[in-house]
Amino acid sequence: MAAKPMKPPMKPEDVLQVVAAARGDAICVPTMTTSPAWRTIAPDDLSVGCVGFMGGASSLGLGLALARPDRRVIVLDGDGSLLMQLGSLATNAGAAPRNFVHLLFKNGVYHTSGAQGIPGGLSVDFVMMAKGAGYRQVLSIDSLDEFKRRLPELLRAEGPVFVELHTGLADQTPMTARGGVPFPEQVETLRVRLVRPRPTG
Amino acid sequence: MPESIPATLIIETLKDTFRDARAALAKENAEPSRHDHLGWILSVPDTHQKTVLAALDKEESIRVVTCATEDEATAIGAGLYMGGEPVVLMIQHAGLYASVNTMRGVAMDGKVPMFYMVGLLSREKDKDPRESRHSMVRYAEPLLDTFGVPHARLEGPNDVHLIPEYYRLSRSRRGPAVVLVGLETS
Repeated sequence: MAAKPMKPPMKPEDVLQVVAAARGDAICVPTMTTSPAWRTIAPDDLSVGCVGFMGGASSLGLGLALARPDRRVIVLDGDGSLLMQLGSLATNAGAAPRNFVHLLFKNGVYHTSGAQGIPGGLSVDFVMMAKGAGYRQVLSIDSLDEFKRRLPELLRAEGPVFVELHTGLADQTPMTARGGVPFPEQVETLRVRLVRPRPTG
Repeated sequence: MPESIPATLIIETLKDTFRDARAALAKENAEPSRHDHLGWILSVPDTHQKTVLAALDKEESIRVVTCATEDEATAIGAGLYMGGEPVVLMIQHAGLYASVNTMRGVAMDGKVPMFYMVGLLSREKDKDPRESRHSMVRYAEPLLDTFGVPHARLEGPNDVHLIPEYYRLSRSRRGPAVVLVGLETS
C-alpha cells in the first residue's frame, strides 16, 4: 500500500497573518523565528518579544495573562525554545489562566542558530506533553485552512489552550533580520498601554 | 549573631510592601487592578523559607504561583510587572545560580524591576556567608557583586525594613535587587 503523502508544512508567515487577523486586542508574545515576521505583520504596541532569554515566551505570556484576565494572551512559541523550559508547560497549566493561548510553531530545528535539529526532531510529541501537563484544550493542526477555521473558537475557548502547528521555516530569523524595538522599550510601551488608561474624548 | 525571622513578620512586611506598591501605581494614574489580593509571590520552593511558604498557603491576600524553575519565575514576574501587578520572587541560592542568564536578560538588559528574596540554605550561624564552607552560600554575594546587583542581608527581625526598601530600589533602578535571607525562617 502506498504511504499517505505528507502535507507540506504551513508557512509561519501565513500562520501569523491568520493570527493577526483574528487576535482583536489580544496581547501577543513572539519569540525567535516568529519575531521578525510578527513585527512586520503586526507592528503595534500590544506585543512584547521574548528576546535574550530563550524559552521564556510562555512564562512571559503567563505573567501577562495572570495580571490581565480581561485580555487574551497569545504566545507564539517555538519547539526548540519550549524544550529549553519544558517545565513551563506544567507551570502554565497549574496556574490555569483561562485567557491563555499557547501556539507552538513546530519545525524540528533551531532555525535561528543554523537549523540544527532539536533533540528528537519532529518526533517529539508536544501535544501529549501539554495534555499531560494539564492544559484544558490541546490539539495539533497541520493545514492553514483548518487553522483559519478553528482559531476564532480557540481564542474564545477556556484556557489554557495549546496548539501544535506543523510549520516550515520562516523566511527570516532574528539573525538575518536584526533590529526591531529594543526589549526594554517594548516592555515599557506595553506596560503603559496596559496600566494607564487612555485619555477619553 | 544572625537570628531567624518569624514567617508572620515576613508576611506582614510583604503585605505592607504590596500595599505601598499599589499606592505608587495609583499615583501613576494606573488602571485599578483586576484582582482582590495585594500582590503575587512567585516561588520555586525553598527549604530555607519553607515556614513562610507554608503560612502563605493560608493567606488569602497574597497569591502564590509555584514555578518549575527560577527562569520561569523571572519571566512570569516580567509579565506581571507589565500588567501592573506587584510581585516578589522567593527562591534559593541554587536557583539564583541556575537562572542567572534570565536575570541578566530580563531584569538587567531588559530593565524590568525584579525583587528577589533568596534563601541562603546551609549558611552557618557563626560565619559570614562569604566565609562559609558551602560554596552555594559563599558565592551568592560575589555573584551579585559581579553582576552589579544591589543586595542586602536579612540577619534578623530588625532587618525586615529592607524588604520594602529593596523592592522600591528594584523599581527606581529598573532592574534586579536582592535580599538574602540569612537564617532559616521560623
